[in-house]
This record gives sequence, C-alpha cells and structure tokens, in this order.
Amino acid sequence: MILEFLINAVGLGALYALLTIGVALLFGVLGLMNFAYGELILAGAFAMYLFRDQPWPFALLMAIVFAVVVALVSERLAFHPLRNADPVTLMIASFAVSLALQSLARMTVLPRTRGVPPERFLSHRVSILGADVSVLDLVTLVLCGLMLLVVAWLMGRTSLGIQLRAAAEDFRMASSLGVKANLVIPAAFVIVGVLSAIGGAVLVARQGSVGADMGLQPMLIGVVGAVLGGMSSLKGAALGGFLLGAATALLESLLPTDLIAFRDAFLFSALIAVLVVRPQGLLSGAKVRVS
Amino acid sequence: MVLRIEDVHLQYGSSVRAVQGCSLDVGEGELVSLIGQNGAGKSTLVKAIMGEVPVASGSITVDGASVASKSYSTIRAGVSHVPESRGIFASLTVGENLRLGAVTRKDKAQVAADIERELERFPILRTYWNRGASLLSGGEQQQLAIARALLLNPRILLLDEPTLGLAPIVVDLIFDVVVALREQGMTILLVEQNAVRSLEVSDRSYVLQAPGKVLGSGTAAELGRMPAVVEYLGFSPAEVGVTR
Repeated sequence: MILEFLINAVGLGALYALLTIGVALLFGVLGLMNFAYGELILAGAFAMYLFRDQPWPFALLMAIVFAVVVALVSERLAFHPLRNADPVTLMIASFAVSLALQSLARMTVLPRTRGVPPERFLSHRVSILGADVSVLDLVTLVLCGLMLLVVAWLMGRTSLGIQLRAAAEDFRMASSLGVKANLVIPAAFVIVGVLSAIGGAVLVARQGSVGADMGLQPMLIGVVGAVLGGMSSLKGAALGGFLLGAATALLESLLPTDLIAFRDAFLFSALIAVLVVRPQGLLSGAKVRVS
Repeated sequence: MVLRIEDVHLQYGSSVRAVQGCSLDVGEGELVSLIGQNGAGKSTLVKAIMGEVPVASGSITVDGASVASKSYSTIRAGVSHVPESRGIFASLTVGENLRLGAVTRKDKAQVAADIERELERFPILRTYWNRGASLLSGGEQQQLAIARALLLNPRILLLDEPTLGLAPIVVDLIFDVVVALREQGMTILLVEQNAVRSLEVSDRSYVLQAPGKVLGSGTAAELGRMPAVVEYLGFSPAEVGVTR
C-alpha cells in the first residue's frame, strides 16, 4: 500500500516537475511566461492519438517530433521577432499563439475530445515487494524520472546547459561573453518541446483522451509549480512541481471521498500559505529577469 | 589608436544626457585610466564601447571599426569587459563561470592551459572551483570576473571600478594584476574612482566631469599642471608616485 502510494506520488511529482521546468526555462532565458506551453503538450498528445495504432515507443517519438516542431515554429514566427520586447508583450503574444493553436486544432483535427484506448501493457498491474503497482504509475515514474535526469545532466554537465543557465540568469552578460541568442533560445524551445511531449504522452495515457483544451490544466500546473519553487531557479521550479505533484497524490489518498472534489482548494490554500512566507518561491535564485 | 572615441554624446532615454562630447583614445599596449566622480559618465562610456548604450552622436571605433555598425562584435574585436557589477553568474559554480569565459573558443587544449594560467594568477579560484559563485566574497568575485574576462585572451580589457568596495589587500592584488597585464602588452582601459592608485599605474589618464566631459588628459605630471584638474581632484596628480 505504502509502496504503491510512493510510486504514484513520486511519479506524479516527477511529471509535474517536468511541466514546471518547461515553464521556468523559457521564463528564465527569454523572460517569456509562455501560455502556449499547453499547446505544445497538446501537439504531443495529438501525435499519441494520431499514432495510437503504432507501437507506443514510436508514438512517443512522434509526439516529441510534433511538439518540438510546433515549439520551433512558434519561436520563429511569434517570439523571434519579439526578442527585445518587454515581458508583457511576450506574454500577450504567447496568449495569442495559445489561442490560435487551440482554435486551429479545434477547427481541424480535434473538433471534439477523442478517446485514445489505453495501451494494453499500461493497464496491467505488477507485484513489487508484495505491493500491487500499476504499470502506468511505474512508467510515469521511470519516464519522467529519466527525463529529469537527462535535463539535470544537460544543464549541469554540458556547455549548452551552462550557457542556458547563464542566459537564464543574466542574458546581457552572457551575450557579452559570447553566448549566442540564436543558439540558446531555439535550444530552450527544443528542450521545452521534448518535455511537453513526454508530459503530453503521459497525460494521454492517464486520461485516455485528447481534447483541444487539454493543455490548459498542465500549463497552469507548470506555472503554479514554477512560482512555488521560484521562477528564477530551475532547481526550484523542479522542486515546486515535484511538491505540487506529490501533494496532489497525497491529498487524493488521504481526503475522504466527499472532500476529494475540494482537493485543489486544499492544495492552493497551502500554496498561498507558502507564498505568504516565501513570496520569491522556495528556492529563489539571485534575481528574476523581468526586463 | 586601438580604441578611439570622438566627440561622443550618450543618453539614457530621450532626456538623460550621460556623456556630452567626450573624446579619448587608447593606443596599443597602453594602460589608460578614466578618473572621475560618481555620475561623471565613466561607466556609460564603457557600456557604449560594449555596444550596450547607443551612440547618439560622435563615433567610437575599435581598430577603425565602428561599434555602432551591425557587424561589430566585441568578441571578434577582442574586447573583454569586467563590469562594475562584476556580472558573476550566482547560480553557476566558480569553474562554470570560468568555462563560460572561453565559450566562444574552439582551441579546447589551449583553453585548459589558459584556465590553469588564471588559477595560478588567482589561487583562491582553484580552492573554490566547485563552490557556487554566490558564496564568494566581493573580492573573490572580482578575481573571478577578471579571470573570466582574461580567458577570452582579449586585446583590449575594459575594467570598470574593479576595486570598488574591496578590502585594501584585495585592492593591492587587483592593481598588481593590472600592472602585470600592462607589462605583458595588454591594452587596458581602467575606470576608477581611486584616482591616486590609477594615476600611479597608468600611462595616461583622462579626468572626466559630469556629464561625461573631459576636464583634462595626459600623464600624471601633465595633469598636475592643469589647475582645473587639480581643483577637481583635490590634489595634484604630479605628486602621485608613478610606479611604472
């Protein structure tokens, strides 16, 4: 029972951490609060629907391709011309991109919510140390955990990661040292595309459906988790997302059935309490780049 | 002249005039200091050389190339800048900050040797290699900022208030490094409020008065013969013991 809960809580925490890193990375590098993030998740989720009859790993690969392409196209068409714009302009542009992509999906391929039959292997349960564990929870944990490790390696061990972290902290200083905007900004969008695709694929597997507005809630989770952890710190954002996911799983397990509907009210009350004490987030960095 | 500034006017926004009609030049291998009180426009001038503040009128050229041209790149021009704020990345370790200084260089083996050279110059950076840069003291951060700037192997080094707020022992260390770099033939523009120490080590100095007007320029002895400069500084530069 405890092991099953732990796998569920840590898996959901890892999923939310992925979502928050995607939000915090673009905010740091570009000063962009990207509300179109939900539509990147949608692009990945739609690929899972489109390739639902193909082997799951292939559909996952296509989800990554779809989300990365949408991320890069949105960067090139909408955000690249606005690179020197103020954060409010960027935010409004991201709203426009979000609504445009959502409307496009609704008008063309997703006029209504589509069911995606669960992969047979994901609906199985396995016994681990005597506990009855869902394969879906296990896959969520392993996939999102692996992605977090890859992101941690990329950001901590590679030259690109160092450049991204430097650009996220002080873009002007990083540029004066030779960090190229044309490298780090598209790279950030590619990473965000990959993260949102993994998030989208896991969400489709958990929900069993794809709808044009399905990106809204995970996008909000990403924003809230990033604010909780500290927008200026990728580690903080990941921690914020993880705590949000783990707390969600905890409340689902502990709350009486008639109070489950109020789960988010409990969750966000706790969030407000945390932000009253630490308005800069749990692990804020030296500063937040807002202009 | 490697660096030439001619009748430059700089302003923030549409009304705040930071520099009005400043002219100065720095020759190959020269150590030139820019002296003046707070608000004299010294840092703004350095930012303009880095292309961070637009030139309203006049011209700034590095090796004859205008910094206002679209093709101008401080990296290609070999200009390295240590800003007044030091520009240390707090979320990176000391080692990562140093590696970032050589991010544009392809000669990885030479980069490793140059990092070693900087660790010899500033041994404290070797001690704190894996430490978060935010945990360093002000003096240690300044050493890191200078070491990082030198990893570009610059032709021109712009040092903006490198000793501001530092302990005397660290101030001595920074000036020793500046003199050593000058002796190795590096071209240096040193912005300082510590007029006495700057005059001691510089080949020539410019005394700037708000808003960015050159009150006088020359060697310490030449500046000492200018009454306006003597009155502005409150002492005669000629009395400063030149250490070069």
